[in-house]
Amino acid sequence: VLIYRVSRVISLAHGELMMLGAYGLFATASLFSGHPLVAIAASAVLAVAVGGLVYLALMRRMTGESVLAAVLATIALGILLRGAMVLVWGPQERHPLQALGWANASIPIGGAAKISAVSLALVLATAAVYLGLWLFLRYTRWGIRMRAAGQNSLLAAQRGIGLHGIYALAWGLATFTGGLAGMLIACDSALEQTMVVIGLKAFPAALVGGLDSLLGALLGSIVVAAAEVLLIHYVNPLLSDVVPFLVLLAMLIVRPWGLFGTREELDRV
Amino acid sequence: MRRALGIAVCATGVAAAGTGAAQDAYVIGVTAGMTGPAAATYAPVIDAMKAYLDHVNSKGGINGKPVRLIIADDTGEPSRAGANAKRLIGDKALMIVNSSLSSTFAPILAETKRAGVPLYYAGAVCPKETYPPADPLQFCSTAFGATLDSQAALGFVRAQAKEPVRLGLAAMAIPIARSEIDYAEGLSKTLGMTPVEKQISPPPAPDYTPFATKLKEANPNWVYSWSPWVSQVRTFEALRRLGWNGRYVTWAHLNAEEELVRLKDGELYVFGTNAFFQDDLPIHAEIRAVTHKANLKYPISYLTEGFIAGLVIESVLKNTAWPPTPQKVTAAMNNLKVDLKGLRGGPLEWTKDNHFRTRQYYRVWKWDPAKQAVVRVQDWMPIDVKQ
Repeated sequence: VLIYRVSRVISLAHGELMMLGAYGLFATASLFSGHPLVAIAASAVLAVAVGGLVYLALMRRMTGESVLAAVLATIALGILLRGAMVLVWGPQERHPLQALGWANASIPIGGAAKISAVSLALVLATAAVYLGLWLFLRYTRWGIRMRAAGQNSLLAAQRGIGLHGIYALAWGLATFTGGLAGMLIACDSALEQTMVVIGLKAFPAALVGGLDSLLGALLGSIVVAAAEVLLIHYVNPLLSDVVPFLVLLAMLIVRPWGLFGTREELDRV
Repeated sequence: MRRALGIAVCATGVAAAGTGAAQDAYVIGVTAGMTGPAAATYAPVIDAMKAYLDHVNSKGGINGKPVRLIIADDTGEPSRAGANAKRLIGDKALMIVNSSLSSTFAPILAETKRAGVPLYYAGAVCPKETYPPADPLQFCSTAFGATLDSQAALGFVRAQAKEPVRLGLAAMAIPIARSEIDYAEGLSKTLGMTPVEKQISPPPAPDYTPFATKLKEANPNWVYSWSPWVSQVRTFEALRRLGWNGRYVTWAHLNAEEELVRLKDGELYVFGTNAFFQDDLPIHAEIRAVTHKANLKYPISYLTEGFIAGLVIESVLKNTAWPPTPQKVTAAMNNLKVDLKGLRGGPLEWTKDNHFRTRQYYRVWKWDPAKQAVVRVQDWMPIDVKQ
């Protein structure tokens, strides 16, 4: 959503970048064995750097090309990353939490309900990331520049805003947030090749919420996740794979720009 | 990086194999999920098999001839697997080895049947056509076996349980796992157990909590799961996070030995047919040496299945007189007895009508919190494979 808001490019390598973030944590956890906080900080820095590098090495070269070309470039990037990760880390399952030396305790949250420590961290991290992004975009110079570039890149450039720096930062932040999600999901369960599919499920959530709305992405995720869990529980577990896309189809029919998206942003065929 | 080079070299081999080079070697074609979502299950099998056959080649080959392995990656996709099989047969492969998802079987089989080349499943699930009465061209050495596994697992549960068994069942939504868990559900009733809930999760599920919640709500004291490891272990871990304290019995996949150590749960039972490395047999030392020489990066416990495949191919080719043909190889496979040197409870035997094995042996292990070690709960228990 962040990348789309700023540059109007949909990144279809989101799942792979998420998985790369998780592998980054596994690598730093092995490298800084016995120092989990150092490992987490290093993997976070690494995720931002990877996002910036993706922009500088690939997406920057797509400047001036059609948006479709840029989107296709992200698909190619995803395929490349998927292959590269298998080559570097092999196909077997990895456990970053174990490498960090931590356990995933079960925490009672009232009644018979329980939540794993990492799941709770996931919820708190989401809140922290959203708060951080809101503060950044509203009150910092770079955040205001980023919003300006998103609203009218030509005018922003004419006012002296360096668009490449803004776009690189957007890619860095987006890769960091995706990577953080990947790290936490991998810590909660495990790290393996199918994590890409979870990234795929992020698209219905973003589209339901509205592709250019950060708040919409949050609410879209809640809508899609609630529909999925409730249908698993009360109807049929096998619906879980199709539910996100059913919700998406329903939203596209009723309100194609999403819950909080901007109507004018919609490109019609 | 080694894997990339290996596949590249093999691809070169594909081009060269049809030219004369093939006449100086036993050519074996492999189509396997070396990359892609299921690679964790299949790539270690083929890499270990290749390491073993390279080791055989370094000692002079078989009947004085080297074995040339041509490995093609199908990434678990049926269309690629079919194309691979066609290409490998065109390159004069004497046998096609498949280690991939069951969805790849049909297109490969179509090609092998057309050419009259035997198809050997190593690490891939054994299709029912390998059980007696077997299809003339399909063979399988993979550890797990439908119906027999559930018989072994539920037999173990019945022997262990001192109280009435309320059984929960869990499987991944793939045909082989679903039909096996349906079979287990029926079998459990005949054994006097009460199946209380059956959960089928889609592949892959990012979060198993919803499925585990439904299982827990049915209040089982045992849960049986037979699926890819990811589904088995995630369901178990989700159940534990929800506070379920019952006993869980599940199939011992390649990584089971190290997973028991990771999970350290005294009520998680894994049953399987391959000996664990804790046995420290002479063959285990050989596996360590060969894989070290081949510089394989997998945990050593992942490699037994691939070594068994290597031993099977070695035995088949030893009984295939030079010059080899697919027909001679098939004849050798129809009358095979492979000494697995303790890697399983007994030898692997194929006959004209039985291309699975004549007898399947099962062990059960768990983590012992007192000993802080993986312990054997049940020693080899044989089940005869009959028509």
